[in-house]
Amino acid sequence: MDIAVLALCIVLSVLAMALPVEAREPIAGGLRRTLMAPLVTVQRGATQWRLAWLESEKLALGRDTLAAAAGDANALRLENARLRELLGLGARLKWGIVPAVALQERARPGDVITSLVLSAGTNAGISTYSPVVGPDGVIGLVQSADPKSSVVMLFSHPDFRVSAMTLDGSVFGIVYPHAGDGSAGYLLELRNVAFRTLLKPGTEIITSGLGGTFPRGIPVGTVIQEINTTEGWSRTYLLRPAVNPASVTSVMVMTPERAQEDVGNAWADSATVQAAERRMTAVADSLARRAAELEAARRRAQADSARRDTTPKPPGGGQP
Amino acid sequence: MNARQAGRTAAVVVVLVVLQFIVQPLLAWRAAPDFVVMAVLYAAVRMRPGWAAVLGFGLGLATDSLALSGFGAGALALAVVGFGASWLKGMFFADNVAINAAFLFLGKWAFDIVYVIAQHGMSFGALAAQVLVWSVLSAAMTAVVGIVALAMLRPLGGDATS
Repeated sequence: MDIAVLALCIVLSVLAMALPVEAREPIAGGLRRTLMAPLVTVQRGATQWRLAWLESEKLALGRDTLAAAAGDANALRLENARLRELLGLGARLKWGIVPAVALQERARPGDVITSLVLSAGTNAGISTYSPVVGPDGVIGLVQSADPKSSVVMLFSHPDFRVSAMTLDGSVFGIVYPHAGDGSAGYLLELRNVAFRTLLKPGTEIITSGLGGTFPRGIPVGTVIQEINTTEGWSRTYLLRPAVNPASVTSVMVMTPERAQEDVGNAWADSATVQAAERRMTAVADSLARRAAELEAARRRAQADSARRDTTPKPPGGGQP
Repeated sequence: MNARQAGRTAAVVVVLVVLQFIVQPLLAWRAAPDFVVMAVLYAAVRMRPGWAAVLGFGLGLATDSLALSGFGAGALALAVVGFGASWLKGMFFADNVAINAAFLFLGKWAFDIVYVIAQHGMSFGALAAQVLVWSVLSAAMTAVVGIVALAMLRPLGGDATS
Protein backbone atom coordinates (compact mmCIF):
# COMPACT_ATOMS: atom_id res chain seq x y z
CA MET A 1 0.00 0.00 0.00
CA ASP A 2 2.76 2.47 1.00
CA ILE A 3 4.76 1.57 -2.06
CA ALA A 4 1.71 2.24 -4.20
CA VAL A 5 1.23 5.66 -2.64
CA LEU A 6 4.90 6.48 -3.23
CA ALA A 7 4.61 5.34 -6.80
CA LEU A 8 1.54 7.53 -7.26
CA CYS A 9 3.43 10.52 -5.83
CA ILE A 10 6.36 9.88 -8.15
CA VAL A 11 4.07 9.58 -11.16
CA LEU A 12 2.29 12.82 -10.26
CA SER A 13 5.63 14.58 -9.76
CA VAL A 14 6.90 13.41 -13.12
CA LEU A 15 3.66 14.53 -14.70
CA ALA A 16 4.03 17.94 -13.06
CA MET A 17 7.55 18.22 -14.45
CA ALA A 18 6.39 17.21 -17.88
CA LEU A 19 3.52 19.69 -17.97
CA PRO A 20 3.89 22.53 -20.45
CA VAL A 21 4.22 26.01 -18.98
CA GLU A 22 0.70 27.06 -19.89
CA ALA A 23 -0.71 24.00 -18.09
CA ARG A 24 1.47 24.17 -14.98
CA GLU A 25 1.07 27.92 -14.40
CA PRO A 26 -2.62 27.70 -13.35
CA ILE A 27 -1.69 25.07 -10.74
CA ALA A 28 1.34 26.97 -9.47
CA GLY A 29 -0.57 30.26 -9.52
CA GLY A 30 -3.44 28.70 -7.59
CA LEU A 31 -1.04 27.44 -4.93
CA ARG A 32 0.66 30.86 -4.73
CA ARG A 33 -2.66 32.67 -4.32
CA THR A 34 -4.08 30.32 -1.67
CA LEU A 35 -1.87 28.02 0.36
CA MET A 36 1.40 29.90 -0.14
CA ALA A 37 0.03 33.44 0.04
CA PRO A 38 0.77 33.94 3.78
CA LEU A 39 4.23 32.44 3.34
CA VAL A 40 4.94 34.66 0.37
CA THR A 41 3.99 37.66 2.51
CA VAL A 42 6.35 36.47 5.25
CA GLN A 43 9.12 35.91 2.73
CA ARG A 44 8.62 39.35 1.24
CA GLY A 45 8.91 40.92 4.69
CA ALA A 46 12.13 39.02 5.41
CA THR A 47 13.55 40.04 2.05
CA GLN A 48 12.72 43.67 2.74
CA TRP A 49 14.41 43.42 6.12
CA ARG A 50 17.54 42.07 4.46
CA LEU A 51 17.47 44.75 1.77
CA ALA A 52 17.04 47.43 4.42
CA TRP A 53 20.02 46.05 6.32
CA LEU A 54 22.17 45.98 3.18
CA GLU A 55 21.01 49.47 2.30
CA SER A 56 21.94 50.77 5.76
CA GLU A 57 25.42 49.25 5.38
CA LYS A 58 25.74 50.91 1.99
CA LEU A 59 24.61 54.22 3.42
CA ALA A 60 27.10 53.97 6.28
CA LEU A 61 29.88 53.22 3.78
CA GLY A 62 28.80 56.16 1.63
CA ARG A 63 28.72 58.46 4.66
CA ASP A 64 32.25 57.40 5.69
CA THR A 65 33.49 57.87 2.12
CA LEU A 66 31.97 61.34 2.01
CA ALA A 67 33.55 62.22 5.35
CA ALA A 68 36.96 61.11 4.08
CA ALA A 69 36.43 63.04 0.84
CA ALA A 70 35.43 66.12 2.82
CA GLY A 71 38.68 65.87 4.81
CA ASP A 72 40.69 65.62 1.60
CA ALA A 73 38.76 68.49 0.08
CA ASN A 74 39.65 70.74 2.99
CA ALA A 75 43.36 69.94 2.62
CA LEU A 76 43.13 70.47 -1.13
CA ARG A 77 41.35 73.78 -0.62
CA LEU A 78 44.16 75.01 1.64
CA GLU A 79 46.80 73.80 -0.79
CA ASN A 80 44.94 75.44 -3.65
CA ALA A 81 44.82 78.74 -1.79
CA ARG A 82 48.54 78.52 -1.06
CA LEU A 83 49.38 77.82 -4.69
CA ARG A 84 47.15 80.70 -5.83
CA GLU A 85 49.02 83.02 -3.53
CA LEU A 86 52.31 81.72 -4.88
CA LEU A 87 51.17 82.17 -8.47
CA GLY A 88 50.05 85.70 -7.68
CA LEU A 89 53.43 86.50 -6.18
CA GLY A 90 55.23 84.99 -9.17
CA ALA A 91 53.17 87.14 -11.53
CA ARG A 92 53.98 90.26 -9.54
CA LEU A 93 57.70 89.53 -9.39
CA LYS A 94 57.56 88.90 -13.18
CA TRP A 95 61.01 87.31 -13.72
CA GLY A 96 63.94 85.58 -12.03
CA ILE A 97 61.76 83.31 -9.94
CA VAL A 98 62.14 79.52 -9.64
CA PRO A 99 59.14 77.71 -8.14
CA ALA A 100 60.03 74.68 -6.03
CA VAL A 101 58.36 72.15 -3.79
CA ALA A 102 59.56 71.76 -0.20
CA LEU A 103 60.32 68.11 0.50
CA GLN A 104 60.24 68.37 4.25
CA GLU A 105 59.27 65.53 6.52
CA ARG A 106 56.45 66.03 8.96
CA ALA A 107 57.92 67.53 12.11
CA ARG A 108 57.17 65.96 15.47
CA PRO A 109 55.34 68.19 17.93
CA GLY A 110 57.87 70.41 19.69
CA ASP A 111 60.57 70.07 17.02
CA VAL A 112 61.89 73.21 15.34
CA ILE A 113 62.60 72.81 11.63
CA THR A 114 65.76 74.67 10.60
CA SER A 115 66.28 73.44 7.03
CA LEU A 116 64.34 72.24 4.01
CA VAL A 117 65.12 70.30 0.86
CA LEU A 118 63.76 71.78 -2.35
CA SER A 119 62.87 69.92 -5.55
CA ALA A 120 64.87 72.34 -7.75
CA GLY A 121 68.61 72.96 -7.99
CA THR A 122 71.29 74.57 -10.10
CA ASN A 123 69.76 73.25 -13.32
CA ALA A 124 66.83 75.56 -12.64
CA GLY A 125 69.06 78.56 -11.91
CA ILE A 126 69.31 78.24 -8.14
CA SER A 127 72.65 78.95 -6.49
CA THR A 128 74.04 79.22 -2.99
CA TYR A 129 72.62 82.16 -0.99
CA SER A 130 69.63 82.55 -3.29
CA PRO A 131 66.74 84.03 -1.27
CA VAL A 132 63.82 81.71 -0.65
CA VAL A 133 60.49 83.48 -0.27
CA GLY A 134 56.77 82.75 -0.11
CA PRO A 135 53.58 84.77 -0.58
CA ASP A 136 53.83 85.90 3.05
CA GLY A 137 57.51 86.81 3.15
CA VAL A 138 61.01 85.56 3.91
CA ILE A 139 61.47 81.81 4.36
CA GLY A 140 65.26 81.43 4.25
CA LEU A 141 68.17 81.21 1.86
CA VAL A 142 69.79 78.44 -0.12
CA GLN A 143 72.59 76.84 1.85
CA SER A 144 73.77 74.42 -0.83
CA ALA A 145 72.57 73.57 -4.31
CA ASP A 146 72.87 70.41 -6.37
CA PRO A 147 71.79 70.10 -9.99
CA LYS A 148 68.31 68.82 -9.10
CA SER A 149 67.81 69.76 -5.48
CA SER A 150 68.91 72.30 -2.94
CA VAL A 151 69.01 72.73 0.82
CA VAL A 152 67.44 75.79 2.39
CA MET A 153 68.56 77.35 5.64
CA LEU A 154 65.31 78.51 7.22
CA PHE A 155 65.12 81.69 9.27
CA SER A 156 64.88 79.46 12.33
CA HIS A 157 68.44 78.22 11.71
CA PRO A 158 70.92 79.53 14.32
CA ASP A 159 73.20 80.92 11.56
CA PHE A 160 70.49 82.84 9.74
CA ARG A 161 70.78 86.65 9.57
CA VAL A 162 69.04 89.28 7.48
CA SER A 163 69.21 93.06 7.50
CA ALA A 164 65.76 94.54 8.17
CA MET A 165 63.89 97.77 8.70
CA THR A 166 60.48 99.19 9.38
CA LEU A 167 58.12 99.90 6.48
CA ASP A 168 58.92 103.61 6.50
CA GLY A 169 62.67 102.92 6.58
CA SER A 170 63.20 104.90 9.78
CA VAL A 171 64.52 102.05 11.93
CA PHE A 172 67.09 99.45 10.93
CA GLY A 173 68.38 96.32 12.61
CA ILE A 174 69.57 92.77 12.08
CA VAL A 175 67.14 89.84 12.34
CA TYR A 176 68.31 86.76 14.22
CA PRO A 177 66.47 83.55 15.11
CA HIS A 178 65.10 83.53 18.63
CA ALA A 179 66.41 80.70 20.80
CA GLY A 180 63.50 78.68 22.16
CA ASP A 181 61.62 75.40 22.05
CA GLY A 182 58.42 74.53 20.23
CA SER A 183 56.60 77.39 18.56
CA ALA A 184 58.88 79.91 20.31
CA GLY A 185 61.74 78.47 18.22
CA TYR A 186 60.21 80.06 15.14
CA LEU A 187 60.19 83.56 16.61
CA LEU A 188 62.75 86.09 15.49
CA GLU A 189 64.71 88.88 17.13
CA LEU A 190 65.37 92.30 15.65
CA ARG A 191 68.66 93.34 17.21
CA ASN A 192 70.89 96.41 17.06
CA VAL A 193 67.98 98.82 16.89
CA ALA A 194 69.10 102.31 17.84
CA PHE A 195 68.42 102.94 21.51
CA ARG A 196 66.61 106.20 20.83
CA THR A 197 63.87 104.52 18.77
CA LEU A 198 60.87 102.67 20.13
CA LEU A 199 58.80 100.21 18.08
CA LYS A 200 55.19 99.52 18.92
CA PRO A 201 53.81 95.97 18.91
CA GLY A 202 52.40 95.15 15.49
CA THR A 203 55.00 97.19 13.59
CA GLU A 204 55.83 95.42 10.35
CA ILE A 205 59.45 94.61 9.59
CA ILE A 206 60.72 94.06 6.05
CA THR A 207 64.09 93.32 4.50
CA SER A 208 66.23 96.42 3.99
CA GLY A 209 68.22 95.26 0.98
CA LEU A 210 71.47 95.82 2.84
CA GLY A 211 73.82 92.86 2.91
CA GLY A 212 73.27 91.88 -0.72
CA THR A 213 71.30 88.67 -0.21
CA PHE A 214 67.67 89.74 0.10
CA PRO A 215 66.26 92.60 -1.95
CA ARG A 216 64.46 95.37 -0.15
CA GLY A 217 60.78 95.09 0.72
CA ILE A 218 60.17 91.44 1.61
CA PRO A 219 58.11 90.98 4.82
CA VAL A 220 60.03 89.40 7.69
CA GLY A 221 57.58 89.67 10.58
CA THR A 222 55.83 91.93 13.05
CA VAL A 223 56.97 93.26 16.40
CA ILE A 224 55.58 91.46 19.44
CA GLN A 225 57.45 93.20 22.25
CA GLU A 226 60.83 94.49 23.35
CA ILE A 227 63.24 92.08 24.96
CA ASN A 228 65.29 93.31 27.88
CA THR A 229 68.96 92.84 27.15
CA THR A 230 72.14 93.69 28.98
CA GLU A 231 73.36 95.82 26.08
CA GLY A 232 72.74 99.43 26.95
CA TRP A 233 73.34 101.00 23.55
CA SER A 234 70.76 99.23 21.42
CA ARG A 235 67.36 97.63 21.70
CA THR A 236 66.16 94.12 20.74
CA TYR A 237 62.61 93.30 19.70
CA LEU A 238 60.85 89.96 19.50
CA LEU A 239 59.22 89.37 16.08
CA ARG A 240 56.45 87.07 14.96
CA PRO A 241 57.62 85.76 11.57
CA ALA A 242 55.48 86.35 8.50
CA VAL A 243 55.82 82.69 7.49
CA ASN A 244 55.35 79.52 9.51
CA PRO A 245 58.14 77.18 8.30
CA ALA A 246 56.31 74.08 9.55
CA SER A 247 53.53 74.62 7.02
CA VAL A 248 55.65 75.51 4.00
CA THR A 249 54.98 73.23 1.04
CA SER A 250 55.74 75.39 -1.99
CA VAL A 251 58.28 78.21 -2.25
CA MET A 252 59.88 80.55 -4.74
CA VAL A 253 63.62 80.94 -5.08
CA MET A 254 64.93 84.23 -6.43
CA THR A 255 67.86 83.93 -8.80
CA PRO A 256 70.96 85.98 -7.88
CA GLU A 257 70.23 88.44 -10.70
CA ARG A 258 66.66 88.95 -9.49
CA ALA A 259 67.84 89.39 -5.91
CA GLN A 260 69.87 92.41 -6.97
CA GLU A 261 66.81 94.17 -8.41
CA ASP A 262 63.99 95.94 -6.69
CA VAL A 263 60.88 93.86 -5.94
CA GLY A 264 58.64 96.89 -6.04
CA ASN A 265 55.26 96.51 -4.34
CA ALA A 266 55.03 92.75 -4.89
CA TRP A 267 54.38 92.03 -1.20
CA ALA A 268 52.72 95.34 -0.40
CA ASP A 269 49.99 94.52 -2.97
CA SER A 270 49.75 91.00 -1.70
CA ALA A 271 47.19 91.70 1.00
CA THR A 272 44.85 93.48 -1.40
CA VAL A 273 45.14 90.78 -4.02
CA GLN A 274 44.63 88.02 -1.47
CA ALA A 275 41.49 89.65 -0.15
CA ALA A 276 40.09 89.87 -3.69
CA GLU A 277 41.03 86.24 -4.36
CA ARG A 278 39.37 85.16 -1.12
CA ARG A 279 36.17 86.90 -2.14
CA MET A 280 36.26 85.25 -5.57
CA THR A 281 36.93 81.86 -4.01
CA ALA A 282 34.02 82.29 -1.61
CA VAL A 283 31.68 83.11 -4.48
CA ALA A 284 32.93 80.13 -6.51
CA ASP A 285 32.57 77.80 -3.53
CA SER A 286 29.06 79.04 -2.89
CA LEU A 287 28.09 78.37 -6.51
CA ALA A 288 29.65 74.90 -6.42
CA ARG A 289 27.81 74.10 -3.17
CA ARG A 290 24.50 75.21 -4.65
CA ALA A 291 25.10 73.09 -7.77
CA ALA A 292 25.89 70.05 -5.60
CA GLU A 293 22.71 70.57 -3.59
CA LEU A 294 20.62 70.77 -6.77
CA GLU A 295 22.27 67.62 -8.12
CA ALA A 296 21.61 65.75 -4.85
CA ALA A 297 17.96 66.84 -4.90
CA ARG A 298 17.61 65.64 -8.48
CA ARG A 299 19.10 62.23 -7.59
CA ARG A 300 16.82 61.90 -4.58
CA ALA A 301 13.80 62.63 -6.73
CA GLN A 302 14.91 60.02 -9.28
CA ALA A 303 15.47 57.42 -6.55
CA ASP A 304 12.06 58.10 -5.01
CA SER A 305 10.43 57.78 -8.40
CA ALA A 306 12.23 54.49 -9.13
CA ARG A 307 11.26 53.11 -5.70
CA ARG A 308 7.60 53.90 -6.30
CA ASP A 309 7.70 52.17 -9.68
CA THR A 310 9.32 48.98 -8.36
CA THR A 311 6.90 46.03 -7.93
CA PRO A 312 8.23 43.15 -5.77
CA LYS A 313 8.64 39.92 -7.75
CA PRO A 314 7.46 36.56 -6.36
CA PRO A 315 10.45 35.25 -4.37
CA GLY A 316 11.93 31.72 -4.80
CA GLY A 317 11.14 28.70 -2.61
CA GLY A 318 13.36 26.38 -0.63
CA GLN A 319 15.04 24.68 -3.56
CA PRO A 320 18.83 24.47 -3.69
CA MET B 1 -0.06 8.54 16.40
CA ASN B 2 -3.12 9.89 18.19
CA ALA B 3 -4.87 13.19 17.44
CA ARG B 4 -2.89 15.07 20.10
CA GLN B 5 0.43 13.87 18.72
CA ALA B 6 -0.75 14.62 15.19
CA GLY B 7 -1.63 18.18 16.22
CA ARG B 8 1.77 18.71 17.86
CA THR B 9 3.57 17.32 14.83
CA ALA B 10 1.54 19.55 12.52
CA ALA B 11 2.41 22.56 14.69
CA VAL B 12 6.14 21.81 14.49
CA VAL B 13 5.89 21.29 10.72
CA VAL B 14 4.13 24.64 10.32
CA VAL B 15 6.74 26.44 12.43
CA LEU B 16 9.58 24.89 10.44
CA VAL B 17 7.95 25.77 7.12
CA VAL B 18 7.41 29.37 8.25
CA LEU B 19 11.05 29.51 9.39
CA GLN B 20 12.06 28.48 5.88
CA PHE B 21 10.44 31.62 4.49
CA ILE B 22 11.90 33.87 7.17
CA VAL B 23 15.44 32.59 7.64
CA GLN B 24 16.40 31.81 4.04
CA PRO B 25 15.68 35.32 2.67
CA LEU B 26 17.46 36.88 5.65
CA LEU B 27 20.58 34.76 5.22
CA ALA B 28 20.54 34.57 1.41
CA TRP B 29 23.33 32.00 1.54
CA ARG B 30 23.93 29.51 -1.22
CA ALA B 31 24.38 26.79 1.42
CA ALA B 32 21.47 27.76 3.64
CA PRO B 33 19.68 25.37 6.03
CA ASP B 34 16.53 23.79 4.59
CA PHE B 35 13.68 23.90 7.08
CA VAL B 36 11.21 22.24 4.70
CA VAL B 37 13.40 19.14 4.57
CA MET B 38 13.61 19.28 8.36
CA ALA B 39 9.82 19.47 8.57
CA VAL B 40 9.34 16.48 6.26
CA LEU B 41 11.92 14.41 8.13
CA TYR B 42 10.43 15.38 11.48
CA ALA B 43 6.94 14.37 10.43
CA ALA B 44 7.99 11.31 8.40
CA VAL B 45 9.30 9.39 11.39
CA ARG B 46 5.90 9.82 13.07
CA MET B 47 3.70 8.44 10.26
CA ARG B 48 3.45 5.62 7.79
CA PRO B 49 5.73 5.77 4.74
CA GLY B 50 2.82 6.33 2.38
CA TRP B 51 1.56 9.35 4.30
CA ALA B 52 5.12 10.66 4.60
CA ALA B 53 5.42 10.48 0.83
CA VAL B 54 2.14 12.36 0.45
CA LEU B 55 3.28 15.03 2.90
CA GLY B 56 6.59 15.39 1.04
CA PHE B 57 4.78 15.57 -2.28
CA GLY B 58 2.40 18.26 -1.01
CA LEU B 59 5.06 20.44 0.59
CA GLY B 60 7.32 19.97 -2.41
CA LEU B 61 4.60 20.98 -4.86
CA ALA B 62 3.76 24.03 -2.73
CA THR B 63 7.37 25.23 -2.63
CA ASP B 64 7.77 24.41 -6.33
CA SER B 65 5.00 26.87 -7.07
CA LEU B 66 7.33 29.67 -5.96
CA ALA B 67 10.28 28.44 -8.01
CA LEU B 68 10.95 29.82 -11.44
CA SER B 69 11.70 26.37 -12.90
CA GLY B 70 11.61 22.70 -12.00
CA PHE B 71 7.93 22.49 -11.07
CA GLY B 72 7.45 18.97 -9.66
CA ALA B 73 11.12 18.31 -8.96
CA GLY B 74 10.84 19.37 -5.32
CA ALA B 75 7.67 17.31 -4.95
CA LEU B 76 9.42 14.22 -6.28
CA ALA B 77 12.49 14.73 -4.11
CA LEU B 78 10.55 15.39 -0.90
CA ALA B 79 8.20 12.44 -1.54
CA VAL B 80 11.18 10.11 -1.91
CA VAL B 81 12.97 11.58 1.12
CA GLY B 82 9.81 11.46 3.25
CA PHE B 83 9.09 7.87 2.30
CA GLY B 84 12.69 6.83 2.94
CA ALA B 85 12.81 8.60 6.29
CA SER B 86 9.58 6.98 7.44
CA TRP B 87 10.76 3.58 6.28
CA LEU B 88 13.95 4.00 8.30
CA LYS B 89 12.24 5.56 11.34
CA GLY B 90 13.20 2.69 13.61
CA MET B 91 16.83 3.66 13.26
CA PHE B 92 16.63 7.40 13.53
CA PHE B 93 15.42 10.13 15.78
CA ALA B 94 16.68 8.33 18.81
CA ASP B 95 18.01 10.40 21.70
CA ASN B 96 21.34 10.73 19.99
CA VAL B 97 22.40 14.08 18.60
CA ALA B 98 24.97 12.64 16.21
CA ILE B 99 22.50 10.19 14.68
CA ASN B 100 19.86 12.88 14.31
CA ALA B 101 22.40 15.20 12.68
CA ALA B 102 23.46 12.44 10.29
CA PHE B 103 19.79 11.77 9.51
CA LEU B 104 19.19 15.43 8.68
CA PHE B 105 22.41 15.60 6.68
CA LEU B 106 21.58 12.54 4.59
CA GLY B 107 17.97 13.61 4.17
CA LYS B 108 18.91 17.04 2.84
CA TRP B 109 21.67 15.66 0.66
CA ALA B 110 19.33 13.01 -0.79
CA PHE B 111 16.74 15.70 -1.45
CA ASP B 112 19.26 17.87 -3.30
CA ILE B 113 20.53 14.96 -5.37
CA VAL B 114 17.04 13.91 -6.44
CA TYR B 115 16.05 17.52 -7.01
CA VAL B 116 18.96 18.55 -9.27
CA ILE B 117 18.74 15.31 -11.24
CA ALA B 118 14.97 15.64 -11.67
CA GLN B 119 15.34 19.28 -12.65
CA HIS B 120 18.03 18.30 -15.25
CA GLY B 121 18.75 21.94 -16.00
CA MET B 122 22.49 21.85 -15.27
CA SER B 123 25.58 20.79 -17.18
CA PHE B 124 27.54 17.86 -15.80
CA GLY B 125 30.20 20.11 -14.21
CA ALA B 126 27.65 22.40 -12.57
CA LEU B 127 25.65 19.40 -11.37
CA ALA B 128 28.76 17.79 -9.86
CA ALA B 129 29.69 21.05 -8.12
CA GLN B 130 26.16 21.44 -6.82
CA VAL B 131 25.90 17.88 -5.52
CA LEU B 132 29.42 17.48 -4.18
CA VAL B 133 30.06 20.97 -2.83
CA TRP B 134 27.05 23.16 -2.31
CA SER B 135 24.62 20.39 -1.42
CA VAL B 136 27.08 18.95 1.08
CA LEU B 137 27.55 22.36 2.68
CA SER B 138 23.83 22.98 2.71
CA ALA B 139 23.21 19.53 4.20
CA ALA B 140 25.79 20.19 6.91
CA MET B 141 24.18 23.54 7.66
CA THR B 142 20.76 21.89 7.75
CA ALA B 143 22.05 19.26 10.19
CA VAL B 144 23.55 21.85 12.55
CA VAL B 145 20.61 24.23 12.43
CA GLY B 146 18.14 21.35 12.51
CA ILE B 147 19.55 19.96 15.76
CA VAL B 148 19.23 23.38 17.37
CA ALA B 149 15.76 24.03 15.93
CA LEU B 150 14.38 20.63 16.93
CA ALA B 151 15.78 21.03 20.44
CA MET B 152 14.06 24.40 20.71
CA LEU B 153 10.80 23.00 19.31
CA ARG B 154 10.81 19.99 21.63
CA PRO B 155 8.32 21.59 24.07
CA LEU B 156 5.97 22.25 21.18
CA GLY B 157 6.28 18.79 19.66
CA GLY B 158 6.09 16.85 22.92
CA ASP B 159 8.34 13.76 22.85
CA ALA B 160 10.40 14.60 19.83
CA THR B 161 12.38 11.39 19.94
CA SER B 162 9.52 8.96 19.84
